[in-house]
Amino acid sequence: MNDRGLNRVRDELAQAWAVAIKDVRVYYTTAPMIMFGLLLPFFLFFSFSIKREVGLEVGIARLLALTTFFTASSAGPVIIPMERRTGTYDRLLAAPMSRITLLLGKTLVGAFFATVVSLVPLVVGLLFLQVTVADAGLLAIGIVLASLAFSAFGLVFGSIPTSSATAVGSIMMPSTLVRWPLLFISGVFVPLAEMAPVAQAAAYLSPLTYAQDLMNYAVLGDGYLNPYLDLVLLVVLLAVFLLVAAWMHRRSRQLGY
Amino acid sequence: MKQAIEVENLTKVYGHPESGVLAVDHISFEVPQGDVFGFLGPNGAGKTTTQRILTTLLEPSGGRITVFGHDLARDAYPVKRQMGLVPEESNVYTELTAWDNLMFTARLYLVPRAERAARARELLEAFGLAEQRDVKVASFSKGMRRRLSIAMAIIHRPRLLFLDEPTPGLDAQSARAIRDLVRQLNVEGTTVFLTTHQIEEANQMCDRVAIINHGQIAAIDTPERLKAAFSRVQSVEVALEPAEGSEPDAGHGDALSALPGVKTAVKVGDKWRLYTEDPAALLPLLVRHAESHGLRVVSLSTLGPSLEDVFLEITGQQVGTVRHQTPEDRPRRRREEGDQ
Repeated sequence: MNDRGLNRVRDELAQAWAVAIKDVRVYYTTAPMIMFGLLLPFFLFFSFSIKREVGLEVGIARLLALTTFFTASSAGPVIIPMERRTGTYDRLLAAPMSRITLLLGKTLVGAFFATVVSLVPLVVGLLFLQVTVADAGLLAIGIVLASLAFSAFGLVFGSIPTSSATAVGSIMMPSTLVRWPLLFISGVFVPLAEMAPVAQAAAYLSPLTYAQDLMNYAVLGDGYLNPYLDLVLLVVLLAVFLLVAAWMHRRSRQLGY
Repeated sequence: MKQAIEVENLTKVYGHPESGVLAVDHISFEVPQGDVFGFLGPNGAGKTTTQRILTTLLEPSGGRITVFGHDLARDAYPVKRQMGLVPEESNVYTELTAWDNLMFTARLYLVPRAERAARARELLEAFGLAEQRDVKVASFSKGMRRRLSIAMAIIHRPRLLFLDEPTPGLDAQSARAIRDLVRQLNVEGTTVFLTTHQIEEANQMCDRVAIINHGQIAAIDTPERLKAAFSRVQSVEVALEPAEGSEPDAGHGDALSALPGVKTAVKVGDKWRLYTEDPAALLPLLVRHAESHGLRVVSLSTLGPSLEDVFLEITGQQVGTVRHQTPEDRPRRRREEGDQ
């Protein structure tokens, strides 16, 4: 790559960072983000774990997967429709940066939020509940990668080319319809090893499966798939979700939404 | 003359190409560098669609756009770096301060780090927002938000500025301040593409205007040439009142419309505006009409066509006044093929 190309990449990364920082400052105190991103994973965890004799480490691995999934994927369906409604999204779309750069900035926002929120149960577990982590490095990489992939997953919903693209409620509905069923087929509450072959096949379609398996390896030291395969698949999913969201943005531009 | 924008056969269909809604219908025009170009049209005429295509927010269904020599479809990046956009709604971040809004936009438009703060201070000063720099925009008035929105659009010193309806809803003082700011930008070399339905604003500010109606360019020229081309919408404005001892004549409108040479009579406040191609011939007729109906002429003046008259003539609209006209003089939609 020549100097001009390198400068362009540097510029685009700086723009993605500017978008991410701005979003963190503007949106993370909004009610939908607090409800769907911060509180929901904890509600889910307590709903499905209390009085079920779940070990502390198993509970932490489960909570980390749930937090990264729900918190990261909540950003896109909230922020993009809000920005479309206020007209501020046009400012970003008209700026001299690619759609992928814009989406990367938005991905960083969700990932940042999910990483910070997932640190809460982890720190509490490590400091006060004597939880042990089998592979801290793998856990750190896993949390960041899963958060990035799930944040991009949320952007897919925020990018749906529809005439009601400015309504948070209209975008949250398909997002909720897809995300909730994934919760029950991804090995979070029923381990992959105990699933019937058909259920296992369905589990492999869910991005949450690979995050849960990775958290199991990182916290418990034991999982079902290969942890490096989990990492690679999360990277691939991140790229796929970004490309799908970029394609949807192009469709919106064609359709006039 | 070098062109800032060249548009050829631009078309936009919303929905399916065969059955969708045709919003912009094969329009062509050019905007010379350094001009203030007005893009006028009634609601739904296609002006905002055109502007959104020019600013890359919408993809055209057909046609070709060149901005500063760059094909917008293939090479949008250098164009985006040279353009600023002020949309109809002031799209500022209300949760941030004026300063943070400016700094964010500066980063987005890659203003060098060393220049950002100085440029932001300069703009806050020029736009009368220096004292509010650390105040959250949520507490700003509509006029202040508008000024901040323009400041954000020019922080990177764009060569081309798109303004969509910059003044509606603002008080007279704010509207005037914004017009002055835009004029100053233009004097400094910025080409301005002004989308508006405020005809007088276009008349005051624009070097050239295009009138778009039903997705097509209906006319395009300087405001004065457009007015001259529509000499048939010259008018005589007359204020009449009953002479001493006479009864008020309730039928002024019909009677005035019936005068030879009068195409349309429009009530404007306490006066009547009579549209005619020959104001000089109408004046003596009007005086005789007043005498014969026991009326006194309070004031009488001849008027050339205003840009609003031209606009209404082209778009076939009426102002919100009583209008009397003969059936054969109904406003006709006019399309000047030669102007495209």
